[in-house]
Amino acid sequence: MLEYDIVIVGAGPAGSAAALRASSSGKKVLVLERGPEPGSKNVSGAMVRKDYVTSVFGEGMPFERNVERIKLSLYNKDKPVNIEFSPENLVTTGRLKFDKWLSSVSENAGAMVIPKTTALKVNWDNGIAKSITTDRGEVSAKSFVLAEGVNSLLSMESKIKYDLKPENAVQTVKEVYSVKKEDINSMFNMKNESSGVAWRYIMTDPLVAGFLYTYKDSISVGIGSPINQLVERKIRPEKLLDDFMEKTGISDMVKGYSLREYSAKVIPEAGFPDINVSKSNVYLCGDALGLVDPLTFDGISPAIASGTIAGDAAVSNIDPATYKYELMKSSEISKIAKERKLEAEFMSGDKAKEYIEMVSSIFSDWASGNLFGIRNTMVNNYRNIIPDLMGFAIKMR
Amino acid sequence: MRIEEKLYTLRYKKDDKSHLKILDGDKCLECEKEYGDPQPCISICPANVYTWQNNKIVIGYENCVECGACRIACPFENILWNYPKYGKGIALRYG
Ligand SMILES: Cc1cc2nc3c(=O)[nH]c(=O)nc-3n(C[C@H](O)[C@H](O)[C@H](O)COP(=O)(O)OP(=O)(O)OC[C@H]3O[C@@H](n4cnc5c(N)ncnc54)[C@H](O)[C@@H]3O)c2cc1C
Ligand code: SF4
Ligand code: SF4
Repeated sequence: MLEYDIVIVGAGPAGSAAALRASSSGKKVLVLERGPEPGSKNVSGAMVRKDYVTSVFGEGMPFERNVERIKLSLYNKDKPVNIEFSPENLVTTGRLKFDKWLSSVSENAGAMVIPKTTALKVNWDNGIAKSITTDRGEVSAKSFVLAEGVNSLLSMESKIKYDLKPENAVQTVKEVYSVKKEDINSMFNMKNESSGVAWRYIMTDPLVAGFLYTYKDSISVGIGSPINQLVERKIRPEKLLDDFMEKTGISDMVKGYSLREYSAKVIPEAGFPDINVSKSNVYLCGDALGLVDPLTFDGISPAIASGTIAGDAAVSNIDPATYKYELMKSSEISKIAKERKLEAEFMSGDKAKEYIEMVSSIFSDWASGNLFGIRNTMVNNYRNIIPDLMGFAIKMR
Repeated sequence: MRIEEKLYTLRYKKDDKSHLKILDGDKCLECEKEYGDPQPCISICPANVYTWQNNKIVIGYENCVECGACRIACPFENILWNYPKYGKGIALRYG
């Protein structure tokens, strides 16, 4: 049997951050990845904070375009209310290139990464994990990191966590269209191929969070919607994406360009801090802990933050309470924990509808100079919308 | 565009055995009574993996894009959901 100090399941952002950390402190580290190469199984928009990634993995991150402009469109019925702002440090990136790079940085630090290998089971002895069974044999280690993403089969099989419920999970579908560089530049009024846009959409009834990102020579578009809502209303996710593209005019935009890739993945909406974060010498991180914001889809930074902490935890074998405390100390992670309740309220349908109707009626009254309308909306609503709206816009950065 | 055409965009290596399995066919019948046709697994799947034929769920596992939604959506926890082995299944270029 192969023996390592630390075995990590998954070469996504969480797993590679853990591998980088653990091998940098001199441990013998093995990373198991089920895909033919890191990133080949993973789905994101993706928009990430380049400065944050660089602060952990160093220079050289591959990216598509700098995000010069974020546009947020809140739809109430057919007409959107748009908010635009210029962010800093955000870039778009494709997961295959991105994850391959993250993984290569961990390899340079000494980690051994084995792709095409699915971890099947953690083997326990007296409450302590001893080894992992894979489809190619067994590996033993002193501690383990489960960075297995949203479909965290090993964590569930080991009874560290339970599966997500339909109301705590968002189904997403995504399409990438091949579009010439120059065409993207003129479509979005960008000066060159290193500048791009990120467009976020929120729609109600049914509740849909959508996105459009510009890559160098392609456009990535996708939607997410809570599974319970889709099931109750018998809405097919791919149909929802078609309708979304129709309504936002994206279908017209990509007409005549070819579809390069179709993909789908669940986004977790529940987890940390309400679940176990570790058991004995086995530590969870990233999407396995539910560390992603379902409205902004921001999950890569918290995956990296928690992976780094998990790497340290595995090195010094800390207990669950200490690990949880360490996670909570990270601002990338604690902000998700704090917003959990608000998100749940927002995602539960009616509230989102109420909220967006309110915001869009204020903005359209504002635009048409109907101050009386604004006053009415404000008076008729118990919540203080301005701070909420600002908070929401800031989060989109 | 039909789903099947969309799925053509994916690189795919077929595993010999299905990584998805229905645990108890009777539960699917019960499910059909309670939720009607299409059942939750069918309506949530973005890859047309599940179809209802002669009162049975038929699984076209080679279409699966490994999103995980059917396992979560099934009200009877009736889907044994695993990953394809040896690096098989989908391989994304963009992700
Ligand atoms: C449509 C969509 C858009 C998104 N957009 C953004 C965005 O713009 N910005 C952002 O920050 N986040 C975004 N996210 C969220 C982000 O993708 C996740 O939060 C992030 O990928 C989590 O990282 P992770 O390392 O925890 O898990 P993952 O990235 O899922 O990695 C898990 C890895 O483990 C491997 N694995 C799993 N099980 C096994 C096993 N048993 N054996 C071997 N290997 C295994 C998988 O193949 C995978 O490589 C988006 C998500 C979706 C679905
Ligand atoms: S949702 Fe579950 S119980 Fe219902 S038909 Fe599908 S697999 Fe069977
Ligand atoms: S994992 Fe996704 S694509 Fe595969 S069968 Fe389930 S719902 Fe369909």
